Amino acid sequence: MERASRKDAAGRSPAWAAALLLLGVCVGCGRRESDPLASATAEPAAVQPAANQVARAPAETPPEPFDPPPLATLDRDATWIDRPVRDGMALLREEQARQTAPASVAEALALENDSAAANATILAALGRLPEPGEADLAARVDRHVAGDLGSTNPIMISTSAEFDILGLTGFGLFSFDRRLEPFATSDTVVSWQTSADGLLDKVVLRDDLVWSDGKPITAHDIAFTYRVIMDPRVPVPAVRSGTDQLRWVHAYDDRTVVFFHKQPLATNVWNVNFPVLPKHVYEKTWQDDPTLKDSPEHVKLELAPVCGGPYKIVERQRGQQIVLRRRDDWSTVRGRQVRDAPFFREVRFRIIEDPNTTLLALKSGEIGEMVLLPEQWTTQTKGGDFYERNTKVTAPEWVSFHFGWNIDTPFFADRRVRRAMTYAFDHDAMLEKLCYGLYEPATGPFHETSWMAPKKKPVASKQDLDKAEALLDEAGWTDHDNDGVRDKEINGRLVPFEFTMLVNQQPLRVAICTLLKENLDQIGVRMNVRPTEATVLQQLTQDKKFQAYHGGWGAGTDPDTSDNIWATGAGRNYVGYSNPDVDRLFEEGRREFDRAKRAEKYARIQEILQDDQPYTWLYWRNSFYGFSKSLRGYVFSPRGPYHYSPGFGSLWMPRQE
Amino acid sequence: MTTETRTTGFWGDAWRRYRRRPLAVAAAAFVGGLVLVAILSPAIAGTKPVLCRYKGRIYAPCLAYFARDLEPAIFARDRFRGTYPRNLVEKDPESWAVWPLVFQDPYRSVRADEWPGLPANPARDEGRPSRRNLFGTDQAGVDVFAKMVHGTTIALLVGFVSMGIAGTIGVAVGAVGGYFGGWIDMLTSRITEIVMCIPTLVLILAVIAVIEKPTIWHTMAIIGATGWTGIARLTRGEFLRLKESEFVLAARAAGAGPARIMLRHILPNALAPVLVPITFGIASAVLLESSLSFLGFGPPPPTASWGSILNDARSNLAMWWLVVFPGIAIFLTVLAYNLIGEALQESTDPRLREARK
Repeated sequence: MERASRKDAAGRSPAWAAALLLLGVCVGCGRRESDPLASATAEPAAVQPAANQVARAPAETPPEPFDPPPLATLDRDATWIDRPVRDGMALLREEQARQTAPASVAEALALENDSAAANATILAALGRLPEPGEADLAARVDRHVAGDLGSTNPIMISTSAEFDILGLTGFGLFSFDRRLEPFATSDTVVSWQTSADGLLDKVVLRDDLVWSDGKPITAHDIAFTYRVIMDPRVPVPAVRSGTDQLRWVHAYDDRTVVFFHKQPLATNVWNVNFPVLPKHVYEKTWQDDPTLKDSPEHVKLELAPVCGGPYKIVERQRGQQIVLRRRDDWSTVRGRQVRDAPFFREVRFRIIEDPNTTLLALKSGEIGEMVLLPEQWTTQTKGGDFYERNTKVTAPEWVSFHFGWNIDTPFFADRRVRRAMTYAFDHDAMLEKLCYGLYEPATGPFHETSWMAPKKKPVASKQDLDKAEALLDEAGWTDHDNDGVRDKEINGRLVPFEFTMLVNQQPLRVAICTLLKENLDQIGVRMNVRPTEATVLQQLTQDKKFQAYHGGWGAGTDPDTSDNIWATGAGRNYVGYSNPDVDRLFEEGRREFDRAKRAEKYARIQEILQDDQPYTWLYWRNSFYGFSKSLRGYVFSPRGPYHYSPGFGSLWMPRQE
Repeated sequence: MTTETRTTGFWGDAWRRYRRRPLAVAAAAFVGGLVLVAILSPAIAGTKPVLCRYKGRIYAPCLAYFARDLEPAIFARDRFRGTYPRNLVEKDPESWAVWPLVFQDPYRSVRADEWPGLPANPARDEGRPSRRNLFGTDQAGVDVFAKMVHGTTIALLVGFVSMGIAGTIGVAVGAVGGYFGGWIDMLTSRITEIVMCIPTLVLILAVIAVIEKPTIWHTMAIIGATGWTGIARLTRGEFLRLKESEFVLAARAAGAGPARIMLRHILPNALAPVLVPITFGIASAVLLESSLSFLGFGPPPPTASWGSILNDARSNLAMWWLVVFPGIAIFLTVLAYNLIGEALQESTDPRLREARK
């Protein structure tokens, strides 16, 4: 069997995944999607049932014990509807079979990516999956991550680096394709059914799954992991969000697991998707050490985790590198090949924080891929020193950046002031000069090309100092004391309009804030730029100890993941935004199963947010990647080239002749 | 015949010997030049008039470069929006203005047609040195020459303020310890040793993370508060030596109190050797500030600082002008202070003086 395919290596990242990325991006986006920093406190933002709009704190108590009815009763009472069980790699193959490459690989490799046409050619020619026998199955790929892992325990997953690595070592039942359509993955699942009332999901697992220590993976592992994730003593940074919408998870036998939902929601397909722990390893130890990392047993597991995915961790040098090796017992069980082996025998992750050092490593061939910053894309990767070993590609990605205005401060409580900020900012200078014309303007939380964005294309914001000044005057911020700075009487005291903008130390972001500072200075508003270390920034925004900040969010797999940014009192609603209409629309969107009707709700949310401007949306940061010329098979989704199915699994290296 | 040299006194003597070293004189002149540049920076490079007459009154908007609040409010009220050349003429045809030598701003890119007929500054990596941008522009289009001229203030302030603080603390601690001796000396010496153990860079990084609005003054205060140990030790040594000398004995016999003896009699005689570490301290403070800015922990943006220009260069080394000009400036400044320090040492040290003869 030469033909090898890897499904879903990195694709198991559902609703909670989105949420985590959000946080990560918010603070540390420049280098990589999220960095080590996000690991600090990715707080789960729980979405409570409809009746309880206000209380959105993370679950403090474990779910009430639940006595699941016998499977026979379920089968008798429920009308089961079959849901898709798919192979992400096969889907991609089908898609590619319908396309013809516009150029040969050699032609594409000789191209310089200096135009949209060249980019499309490179993507089409080099993004193809291998023909049988074409891939070098003994190859090693050197990848880049911008920060170390916080933990190797899959339920502690939170940052982008953890996604990259634990996505390859972890076990999961569900995934989604590059259009973010969810399915159960045929690597692990035989069948997936949902009850007609939307309250039950029944999954039958394959019987040829083993952990890296040789023990079988069963439905009991999944039910066990649910209880661990939902135990408030276990410091799960992100995965509990979404999982807490489940009423219970019960394993009826080794292969049959049923998910009981609290309510029939459109988002239930994401809530059933969480990482899985080996029950036989943790069941004896987790009660004694619910942190899952302090006891000697857990310290040992942290170093050498028992993995359920296609790769296992074989080497870990803190702050240096992490090496994964392909598990032969993933594809070959009891002497029989049961699923396709991944293309790479070894995946080595190099940890490099500084973007300039990373680029040097790519040019010297030390690493095989990296995210390029606009300046790097435009000025550092156009010469022979780059193209000798590498090529580069770009594709749309749903990661957007913004200024967030703390609505609980006297400055930004008024919508007119927030709109004035948007008018004051020189969007064109940012896009053209600072971002080298590579990023597209953003105007709201949902990407224009996504199904949930309004049909009417929004107009990109432009600088208009007259409008900005008029709005500020209207809101009462005029220069009363004649000192050149606008001010307003608040509680009998004249408050000058001077505020501080928190920003990550990444140069591009500081430059964007400095640009706003100069723009505001022109209309009598004083702003101080405060570059802040990433974890401090995260803490300050979470504690709402800020006046304004600059950050970004990565899009979730479902628009409902934005609920925890915009709903009243939600966990990531740092700016203190509250609008009953938005709350209601999210609630309705969750209960609506018709895609078109759902889209209307989210489009309306986008419009309301554009009117209210709790953020000044700045730009969409698309994917810009440098790849070694020896790599093939990169295909991009709105979540980048890795975090979907097959994602990283479609990358391969040709055999050396 | 020796009376003539004697009347010049110790300091005159030292100055005479200092003057014999051309490099040291050049260094002193260089630092003097920097002081001038720092004081005159808004008149050398800026986009606000040095002096202007507007609606019947005379203003100096350029002072805003020293403190933001010094910009006359009338220009904000009349919606100048920081753009003077056109607005002055349009809003008061009678007005006149004296402009800085170079119409460039250290904090922002000059916009197109801001100065009638001139295009916008080049940005990205296109801002090579040209007639308009003498030292080129950075990625955001800000003129490097303007940044460097205004950054001179910081380079000087950092050295003088931090070593002013360090000198005051060091001399006070060393004098008290050296003069009184006994347990007081024991105490001050131990404190000195403890402070010596504090890593300045780490402390600065920690403080910057903690305080609400970190400014360059915090950095200076920390460099000063940790950099006094060498000075204290030298002062203590001098005081130990001098307190036994005859003129101190004479002063004490005349009934002078300890404060008077320390300040009036010993300190002037102990000052020369103490000046040397202060001069070297200034050099290292300038370097430290540049390193901090280079690492991204310098004064908050968009404050112009030489080190921060170097930091901008890191992402694109092909923009050599971001490396060369601030690099040369830092090098020359540190070299100048070191030359001055060395010359001071040699021209005030009696033993070296004997050896030279």
